[in-house]
Amino acid sequence: MSSIIVARALAPAVHRSLKVLLLNATLKKCNNYSKIIQSGLPAYSQRRFYAEKKVFERTKPHCNVGTIGHVDHGKTTLTAAITKVLSDAKLAEAKKYQDIDNAPEEKARGITINVAHIEYQTENRHYGHTDCPGHADYIKNMITGAAQMDGAIMVVAATDGVMPQTREHLLLAKQIGVKHIVVFINKVDAADKEMVELVEMEIRELLTEMGFDGENIPIIAGSALCALEGKNPEIGQDAVLNLLKEVDAYIPTPERELDKPFLLPVEHTYSIPGRGTVVTGRLERGVVKKGAECEFVGYNKVIKSTVTGIEMFHQILEEAQAGDQLGALVRGIKRDDVKRGMVMAKPGTVKSYDNIETQVYILSKEEGGKSKPLTSFIQLQMFCRTWDCAVQVVVPDKEMVMPGEDSKLVLRMMRPMVLEKGQRFTLRDGSQTLGTGVVTKTLPMLSEDDRLSLTEGKKAREKKAQNEK
Amino acid sequence: MLLSKTMSRFFSTTKAGFAAEKSLLASLRKKTGYTFSNCKKALDMHNNDVIKAEEWLKQQAQALGWSKATKLEGRQTTQGLIGVITNRNHGVLVEVNCETDFVARNKEFQKIVEETAITCLSFINQQPLQKPFIKVLLESEQIRNLHALDGKLLQDHLALMIGSIGENASFKRAACFKTAEDIKLIGYAHPSGNVVNNVSIGRLAGIVALKGYSKNIENLDLVGKGICQHIVGMNPKLIGTDADPAENKDEEVSLIHQEYLLDESLTIKELLSQNNVEVVGFKRFECGENVSTTTNQPLQYVETCQ
Repeated sequence: MSSIIVARALAPAVHRSLKVLLLNATLKKCNNYSKIIQSGLPAYSQRRFYAEKKVFERTKPHCNVGTIGHVDHGKTTLTAAITKVLSDAKLAEAKKYQDIDNAPEEKARGITINVAHIEYQTENRHYGHTDCPGHADYIKNMITGAAQMDGAIMVVAATDGVMPQTREHLLLAKQIGVKHIVVFINKVDAADKEMVELVEMEIRELLTEMGFDGENIPIIAGSALCALEGKNPEIGQDAVLNLLKEVDAYIPTPERELDKPFLLPVEHTYSIPGRGTVVTGRLERGVVKKGAECEFVGYNKVIKSTVTGIEMFHQILEEAQAGDQLGALVRGIKRDDVKRGMVMAKPGTVKSYDNIETQVYILSKEEGGKSKPLTSFIQLQMFCRTWDCAVQVVVPDKEMVMPGEDSKLVLRMMRPMVLEKGQRFTLRDGSQTLGTGVVTKTLPMLSEDDRLSLTEGKKAREKKAQNEK
Repeated sequence: MLLSKTMSRFFSTTKAGFAAEKSLLASLRKKTGYTFSNCKKALDMHNNDVIKAEEWLKQQAQALGWSKATKLEGRQTTQGLIGVITNRNHGVLVEVNCETDFVARNKEFQKIVEETAITCLSFINQQPLQKPFIKVLLESEQIRNLHALDGKLLQDHLALMIGSIGENASFKRAACFKTAEDIKLIGYAHPSGNVVNNVSIGRLAGIVALKGYSKNIENLDLVGKGICQHIVGMNPKLIGTDADPAENKDEEVSLIHQEYLLDESLTIKELLSQNNVEVVGFKRFECGENVSTTTNQPLQYVETCQ
């Protein structure tokens, strides 16, 4: 026992000395040494490598924000200034401008947007901070889920005021559903008071025109550069702190999955003799307790029931939380009533739809998609949660969608399934994935005629169009 | 409240800055759209005479645009738009690039694309027709030095736009076509629908030259638009010959052997023979695609397709 303690105590020292050796050795030798470490040191000292990485502490609610604005108005400088100011209070790690400014090789890879994902925290919240370099880039990542924004910080330079393309920046915010914007008027060190006032007026006007709450949106004026260089604290550090205070107050914390009404996509159903029917699946959100009322929705059916027991790993559970893989015993339901693809949810919280508006990203050939563009009336298979369904695609605004492009698509489904705004799904054709999308709007249900026309061929459609003329 | 206090404290040393009247500055900015700093400078220089200041700004706009353009020169332009315009025997494809696609969505940028296309169209209009079908490729420098309809150089227009947008932009290339009377040019841009002064603007565009042997002119337009959309969508590399279609349909690069995009039961060849039409040539531009540029190509460089 004591020898282990001694070994434990010595291990860091050994580790350190090896590290020194490693540093001094040439690259080739390096490889040899690392082999020695692996074979020579027992497992626990290796664990210390991991321990050196900081553990993320989840003590504050999380919120995702992003900066939007003209390329030269100082988005990156502001981000650097935020981390610098917060690092003084030990709430962030200061990043230099160069560290944040997106690396060109990342853009060349083209897989995710060339965002520098920065984290920092205020007294109240923890933030993930992204930048939005382009409209199409951002939409693609929003659809695939690689980036998201709960709120935005718009940066406008006091020297230039609102630029012609600021309108386009706000359009993007609108399209991705950002309702809460905080404005930072930058570079006030190079402007004067009345210019700042005029810029503020102009911004409020534009925001209102674009459908935002222009009257009440918080606008902070300052200089990110001063904050970064530690000069003129009134417009430097204080302005940045002020901005963060407004961000804290104005952008609401997104609701956690755990706090939403429960929903479980059914993966399998089993019939257990003497007990009844058990459905299994992963609880997507919320908390489900024994005795909870529930509803099975899907395949044109809505069945009410009660959860009489929950099990996980063959053990009884009083309540299951989002993320748990569980089996639920339900009262008064035959095994054949419920099947894979339905969802079990809190009564009245979900609905089936068969006609939806979506924003879809079509994979390019390099990403594994097709080289052929997508046209209206093509039939694809839509995969979502545990179900899949044949859908007819209608391209509303243009004549076709090219691979590598994002587009609004209307999907008309063969049968209604449980869907909601914000739901992600995949479109496939046979064995090939064509694209991925997110539901933006649910449309009125298809009529019987509409549904019949889904299976019509091109000839029949043309004939019908002729007759209508 | 706090803000104004801190601001006033900072600016108390720069009293001279208050010279330009607030309402004047606001109205000048609103009227002209030039940046606040420039509007203020103009007012300061002309003792708050709005009319003189506006005149000065307009005079300076070109110079300011140029200084901005010079400053931003060298910044990468990877986004942008393609403009396409055709009248019966003349057609033009142009590509103009900018830094972010936000700008590409802006009307001011689209106006430049439109101006460039119309200028190139008038350029090709003046070229002699030595063969039934000629194609002239223009490069950045050559486009810059063309005279727009108002007599100014295109590069001056571009500099003005850069001055107002504040992002770098550049002309990348243009392809101009001129054909004999019996060959018709038809263009298509994707995403479709954005048309200014007969110039269709999109991220991808194509022009196809068709020779119709039947009298039905309307039909030729309709077929032409379909084929052009097919070219934009399917990216064929060549027209192709009757011999040997590729074995794998998905890898077919000859236009005539490809399945027609709008009706998979037909190949383009079948579509052409049904409508009694021949494809003489085509060109497709994709925004941001890599093109191997030939160096120092003379302006009169003429490439024929047949």
